[in-house]
Amino acid sequence: MANLEVRNVRKSFGDTHVLKGISLDLDGGEFLVLLGPSGCGKSTLLNMIAGLDSITDGEIVIDGRVVNAVHPKNRDIAMVFQSYALYPNMTVKKNIAFGLEMRGVPAEERERLISRTAELLQIDHLLGRKPAQLSGGQRQRVAMGRALVRDPKIFLFDEPLSNLDAKLRVDMRTEIKKLHARLGTTIVYVTHDQIEAMTLATQIAVMRGGVIEQLAPPQEVYEQPANMYVGGFVGSPPMNFVPATLVEHGNGLAVRFACTSDGSAGDVDLPLADPSEDLAPWRDRKVIFGLRPEALTDYNEAEASIREHAHAFDCRVDVLEPTGADTLTYVDLGGETAIARVNPRRTTNPGETMRLMADMSHASLFDPETERRI
Amino acid sequence: MASLPQQAAADTLGAKIGRGVLYAALILFAAFYILPMLVMLATSVKDIEEIRAGSLLALPQAITFEAWGYAWNEACIGVECTGLAPYFMNSVLMVIPSVFLSSLFGALNGYALTKWRFPGANVIFGLLLFGSFIPFQVVLLPMSQTLGFLGLASSVPGLVLVHSVYGIAFTTLFFRNYYVSLPDDLVKAATIDGAGFFTIFWRIILPLSPSIIVVTVIWQFTQIWNDFLFGASFTSGGAQPVTVALNNLVNTTTGVKLYNVDMAAAIIAALPTLLVYIIAGRYFVRGLTAGSVKG
Repeated sequence: MANLEVRNVRKSFGDTHVLKGISLDLDGGEFLVLLGPSGCGKSTLLNMIAGLDSITDGEIVIDGRVVNAVHPKNRDIAMVFQSYALYPNMTVKKNIAFGLEMRGVPAEERERLISRTAELLQIDHLLGRKPAQLSGGQRQRVAMGRALVRDPKIFLFDEPLSNLDAKLRVDMRTEIKKLHARLGTTIVYVTHDQIEAMTLATQIAVMRGGVIEQLAPPQEVYEQPANMYVGGFVGSPPMNFVPATLVEHGNGLAVRFACTSDGSAGDVDLPLADPSEDLAPWRDRKVIFGLRPEALTDYNEAEASIREHAHAFDCRVDVLEPTGADTLTYVDLGGETAIARVNPRRTTNPGETMRLMADMSHASLFDPETERRI
Repeated sequence: MASLPQQAAADTLGAKIGRGVLYAALILFAAFYILPMLVMLATSVKDIEEIRAGSLLALPQAITFEAWGYAWNEACIGVECTGLAPYFMNSVLMVIPSVFLSSLFGALNGYALTKWRFPGANVIFGLLLFGSFIPFQVVLLPMSQTLGFLGLASSVPGLVLVHSVYGIAFTTLFFRNYYVSLPDDLVKAATIDGAGFFTIFWRIILPLSPSIIVVTVIWQFTQIWNDFLFGASFTSGGAQPVTVALNNLVNTTTGVKLYNVDMAAAIIAALPTLLVYIIAGRYFVRGLTAGSVKG
């Protein structure tokens, strides 16, 4: 267990700035996921933490020690690579032993550590094989074994599951989570898969273009995205963004947007659950109203009565996409396509009008110009 | 491999004729190349009387290996009548260290150029590449001066130096192009595991290189063994490699021209490269086409 601090770290190649000042602070035992599309700098940041890439500016601190000039092998970290990077010429056992051997661990101690790790990962029966004789999932385990056996301060994972098929990926995801729960080691994990990020992380850093857009626990990232980018990147389907106007409504405020129902265009007003003082300057101005698809559902009287901030409105259905559990229902709100999660037994045919219910306690508002959360 | 339409096509008459023509042409070409070899072999086992009386293409009537023994032990090369044997040994002593050194440095260069990218790596690779385009003749004079300066003129170690240095351009090219396809993550993983430059080279990179090593060794062996120009330019007398000695043997005429000895000597001089191809040839093609290592 070690804490990790990244202080205003930059990486540039000439005029190309890959990382534009990254800062984060991670307590020992946390599971940080660096989430972002390819080219956002997340792997570069990981490589810099590992010491495989030089740092243009800023500091990386592991357990209170600035490691900028420390060789990777002396940082007490271990890394699992996307390609697994198993040494093809060595058996599984030798692969796992290599790091110990390089560190001068005596042979008996090595044996003990290897058998313990192999047992933990259930790869004891594979120790004599070469990597080419293993399946994808087994290689993944061996790669993790190679990292685990040294019991490092920090684990670094570079998209470790992206080469596995869908089912195996889910299984391994669970195993990584179990391992973290069991070992409690600090983990930094890079992925572009937002579901992996949500399921594994205790902290998510959503990255774009060399900056961290939001650093928060997964539920907070999901429910209160710092900006429209985060709202759109996390969650599948992504958050709905409805161009709206903030208007006065009784004692509070409401979002007003256009929507077609029963063949005629009209405005819908949805009162905000929490019309705080901060929103006052936004009255009568354009905002982006963000709502997760699961907060936009079919109208259900029983539920509407329980949920204080659920409001109903009518809207024409454009497209239906059944997914099994829910039917994704496409509607046009304020000129933008929005997706509602509808109970498959309550769907309406495309072109017809349907009564929807918006749970405004999950609403987000964004500034249309800066795209930041208001 | 063969899909159904292709098999169907093979049954038509036109396709059969085409195939026949193809085979005929291939057999003709093969014969064209093998014939000189057969004539050499046949001549080398005839005695000189038979050569004089018979036709060049006729098969030997009585096989005798006298000419081989003579070429190996007794034939006169210039004024020394020692046969090819000492010169053959010269070539062996020249080719083994040269192939070893040039391959080793090529592998190290290729590894450093691909896995430890340093500023200017591409420029250096470009310059090395350029080195493989330099014709032999260009370096003759400066090289002979250098050898004289080092005290290696007219010696087998001198030839080892020349061939090792000259070969590095080619071997680097081979190894570099092979190592470019090895995943960089291997080196990163080993670095984190605590291995340094040379440990990674010996323990991880080199064990993954057998196919490209074979290619390089065959290439270098053939080049160095068959070299005539450097051998003729930088050595004289007892230090000459077998190629130069063969030339001198054939050109040393005392009375009757012993064609059978000439032929036997030529085959002896060519035998090692032939053997290398026969033994390692299948790895050669495999190594040339190999690239990716699935790990």
